[in-house]
Amino acid sequence: MSSNLPLSDDDVHAYADGKLPEARRASVAAALEADPVLAARVAAIRQQNADLRDAFDPWLAEPLPRELIAAAQPPGGRKPPRTRWALPALASAATLVIGIGLGWMGRGEVLQLEGTPTTFPREAALTHALYATDPNRPVEIWANEEDRMVRWLSKRLNFPLHAPNLHAMGYDLVGGRLVAGNQRPAALFMYENADKQRISLLVRKDNEHTSESAFRYALEDGVGVFYWIDDACGYALSGRVDRAQLLAIARVVYGELAAADAAASKP
Amino acid sequence: MSDSLPHPDLVAALPRLRRYARVLTGDLNRADDLVQDTLARAWEKRRLWQPGSDLRAWLFTIMHNVHVNQFAVRRRELAESSLDADDGPVAGWEIPVRATQSDRVELAEVFAQIARLPVEQREVLILAAVEELRYEEIARVQCVPIGTVMSRLNRAREKLRRMAEVSPAPLKVIK
Repeated sequence: MSSNLPLSDDDVHAYADGKLPEARRASVAAALEADPVLAARVAAIRQQNADLRDAFDPWLAEPLPRELIAAAQPPGGRKPPRTRWALPALASAATLVIGIGLGWMGRGEVLQLEGTPTTFPREAALTHALYATDPNRPVEIWANEEDRMVRWLSKRLNFPLHAPNLHAMGYDLVGGRLVAGNQRPAALFMYENADKQRISLLVRKDNEHTSESAFRYALEDGVGVFYWIDDACGYALSGRVDRAQLLAIARVVYGELAAADAAASKP
Repeated sequence: MSDSLPHPDLVAALPRLRRYARVLTGDLNRADDLVQDTLARAWEKRRLWQPGSDLRAWLFTIMHNVHVNQFAVRRRELAESSLDADDGPVAGWEIPVRATQSDRVELAEVFAQIARLPVEQREVLILAAVEELRYEEIARVQCVPIGTVMSRLNRAREKLRRMAEVSPAPLKVIK
C-alpha cells in the first residue's frame, strides 16, 4: 500500500543512500526508469557520496596522537596490570605438524628469495609465518625476562627499543628474538591473545634517513601487515587478523612507541 | 547497563571520532581536544551505554552534545558563517601527502565546498554519506526530529550540487 504513495524528496535520498525499506524500493526503482531527470538526480547523489568518501576516508588511516589513545583508556590513569605470560597448553599433534609445515614453507621462500629484493612487509610476513607457528620456541627470550630481552635487543641493534604494551587490545607479550632480516638485523616482538592468536612486531633501523610515512597495508600469503616508518625506524605489525582489527592494534603500537619516546627524551 | 566500555572497540572508533570532530570544528587541534573531552564524557556516562548497541553512534551523540555545549556561544556564528573556507581547505583538513597533483586539486575542491556548508548540514551529510548512519541514528545524534535531518540533508546536497556547477574544476571520481 505504501508503495503507491507519490515519490518524496526523502524517498529519493533514502533510495540513493541505500536506506529505503525493501517494500518501497521497487516502486522507486520503477519511477526512476520512467523519469530520466529523477534517475540523474539519484546518480548525482551517489556520485557526491563517492566523492565525499574519497575525500574523507584517507583521514582514517592517519596515525593517532598518543593523547587520544591514552584518553580511550579507562579513567584513573593506571595501566591494566600486565598479566604474566604462561606457557600455552601444548598444541595438538595436528596443529604441531601444520605449524612446522608452515614454518618450513616460510623458510623455503626466504631461501628462494635470497639475492632478490624483498619488500619490508613481505619480510615481516615471512618472519611472522616462520616464528608465530612455532609452538615451543616462537621467541628466544620470554616475556618474564622482558627488561633483559629489550636491553639485549637494543644492544644488538644499536638503538633503544621498546616493547609496546598491547594489553588494552587483548594481547600480551610472549617475548622477543633477533632476526637476520633482509638487509640488516631486526627485532621481533611477539604477542598472543586469549585465543592463542599471535601477532608480531618487527622493528629495524634504517641507515639512510627516511621520512615518516602513514600506515600502509599489505597482505602477504594470508598474513596481514601494517607497516610504517617513524624516526628512521621501520615498523611492521603482522598477523592473521582482520584488517580493521590489525589497524586498531597498529595505532596502539604507534601511540605506545610515541609515549616511550617522549618519556625517554625527558631529561 | 555496563560497568565498562569495550576498549578495543573504543580505540577502533577513534579514527572516526577524530574525523567527525574535524568536520565539526574544521581545526585539527580543536578536533583533538573535542575527541578527548568526548572520551572523558563517555567514560563518565559509561553506564548509559547498552552493550551490543552501536558504540560509534553513541560516541557521535556524545561528541555532538559536547561540541554544542562547548561552542554554545560561538555556535550561532559558526552555523551562519560556516567555516568560511574561500581561501581553500580549512586548517585541519590537510590533503594526504601521497595524493597526486590532480587529486590534490579535486580534494581541495571537495573540502572547500563542504567547509562552506553550515555545521548542521555538514554534520548530517558526513554522517549519512560517509559514516552511512541510519537517518534515525542521525536524528538521535543531533537530537532533532527525523524530518529536520531529511531537510538538512536535502539542503546540503543541493548546495553542494550548485557549488559543483559553478566550480571551475568539476567534481569527478577521485581514485
